[in-house]
Amino acid sequence: MNVRSQISMVFHLDKCIGCHTCSIACKNIWTDRKGTEYMWWNNVETKPGTGYPTKWEDQEKYRGGWEKKNGSIKLKSISKSRTVTDIFHNPSMPSMDDYYEPWTYKYEDLFNSPEGSDQPTAIPISMVTGEYINVEAGPNWDDDLGGSPVYAENDPNLQGLTAEQRQQLFAIERLVFFYFPRICNHCLNPACVASCPSGALYKRGEDGVVLIDQKRCRGWRQCIAACPYKKSFYNWSTGKSEKCILCFPRLETGQAPACFHSCVGRIRYLGVLLYDADKIEEIANSPNESLIDAHRSIILNPNDPEVIKYARLNGVHDSVIESAQISPIYKFVKEWKIALPPHIEFRTLPMLFYVPPMSPVMANKNDDKVQSVSDNFFHDIEESRVPLQFLGNLFGAGHQGKVLYALKKQKAVRTYRRALTVGDIPLSVAEKMLTEADCTKEEAEAIYKLTSLCTFDDRFVIPPMHREEAIEMMKDPHEHKQAVGFGFVEKPERGL
Amino acid sequence: MLNYLTPHGKWHIHSTYGDNQRMTTLSRGVEPFWMNDKDAEELGINDNDWVEVHNDHGVVVTRAAVSARIPCGICIIYHSPERTYSVPKSPLRNNRRAGGHNSLTRTRLKPNLMVGGYGQFTYHFNYWGPIGCNRDTHVLVRKLPELNW
Repeated sequence: MNVRSQISMVFHLDKCIGCHTCSIACKNIWTDRKGTEYMWWNNVETKPGTGYPTKWEDQEKYRGGWEKKNGSIKLKSISKSRTVTDIFHNPSMPSMDDYYEPWTYKYEDLFNSPEGSDQPTAIPISMVTGEYINVEAGPNWDDDLGGSPVYAENDPNLQGLTAEQRQQLFAIERLVFFYFPRICNHCLNPACVASCPSGALYKRGEDGVVLIDQKRCRGWRQCIAACPYKKSFYNWSTGKSEKCILCFPRLETGQAPACFHSCVGRIRYLGVLLYDADKIEEIANSPNESLIDAHRSIILNPNDPEVIKYARLNGVHDSVIESAQISPIYKFVKEWKIALPPHIEFRTLPMLFYVPPMSPVMANKNDDKVQSVSDNFFHDIEESRVPLQFLGNLFGAGHQGKVLYALKKQKAVRTYRRALTVGDIPLSVAEKMLTEADCTKEEAEAIYKLTSLCTFDDRFVIPPMHREEAIEMMKDPHEHKQAVGFGFVEKPERGL
Repeated sequence: MLNYLTPHGKWHIHSTYGDNQRMTTLSRGVEPFWMNDKDAEELGINDNDWVEVHNDHGVVVTRAAVSARIPCGICIIYHSPERTYSVPKSPLRNNRRAGGHNSLTRTRLKPNLMVGGYGQFTYHFNYWGPIGCNRDTHVLVRKLPELNW
């Protein structure tokens, strides 16, 4: 057993209001520089929709992630025969048209325009050319357009939906949409790391944060093609690639990442998971239908003495193990099984999990009234406005079972709490629902508390980082006297 | 003829917070004109086309956001963007710059706004009563014949 620790995340989608405060917080801190204008390390998408970059989930187009080939897994983006030609032109690399051309406004015209009979206006100008631009795309172009035949209909997750379900998604008072916030998943089997010819990408040993060494990066951009979530970006100004760093300077000082800290809906959770690194290859090679179970099995019980023993052997600090024992992520993913990885079929084993949205599960499509409890307690989930197959494509590698389980449990918890606080549903019925949803009363209370009444400290259990024990810190401190640097240590230079 | 509404947007509280480069980038670069897909088809308008929205009171030029979320016969511009960025000239206004969302609404009181006896007759500068119903009006929409800044 090769026990390592990883800072992992859960996003509770029912709580997301799509306000983009996370995106702005991230942009203001990290990508407010030359060359990063078009980057959104954190973005929020409307689902169904095509997202940013457009149709990123379509791996026929972008060839990201891993695929099973001859009994093992191979990167989809790289093959020996293609590498040489791809250096010059890689057809699956996203281009500016797939992202958007960043723009601003010619604000100075508001002050400098000559006097006239009409009020001046600040026209949109490209941040690339500085010239006037007719804005045709943006990083959130299909915002709130769940019912749009232009954007929502092109969502790759609509595959396998019946004609009736599709039609419903685009009809007034029948349609539905929800928000899907995305950051780097800090995967266990990151395709970006595997693809880098310079070895510039690495997964930090102590917390699993995936980083690009800005000194070693040679701008091959293989990581951009290989990441199936398109969360690695090329900085045209520095000639290097960049990505979400999970705000590690904030984590190291005990603060939650900016997008987590600023989240208005409090949808975000962060905590440590212990996992068995020896199993990554085997798990990533599992058949499609058992990927989620396999992924869960790699996450270890932090209370198991055996696990603790091997964790200590690997140098995981006791305080990190303690923090793993109270991790909200462990509860959501492993104990309650209501948080699911996005597109696990890309086989990168993402360590960001989503609680699938219920909304508006109560309003049945045949009857807009709130459903009364019938013999089949959960019938409305299968008939809900968000087609189960759509969620299955997004969170279940095309299978509905795990999503159904998560939604049933959530509905049972809601009904149970309703029985307790409102009292219009008999408690006996609610308890029966809990049993059917594989949930105890204690578990229901715990889910309710962590979902609805959670404090800052409940949501973010950040372990002490122990940078003093990290390898790069073990070097002779005199060697680095007066040295400074961001992500790497730079010696002070003399003179100009 | 569409029924025109100016509800609160999710991007801003009136013009505050919304009118900056970050937020307009996360939106459409303008405060768009939301309309139903069937209405748009009938009028020959595609998503992101520049449209000229007008009635006897004024004219707005902005871009269309076409969605089945909006019922047939209804259209929306969230209030209230500033008129400082991305406002083209309007042929219907003798090629002068088009207006803001409230160029289409009127402050004339309807009789049903006169009942009550609460703050609606209070006056101070730039203020006309607490009721938003006077924003409920009708507009005509056409594709902007020529984009002119």
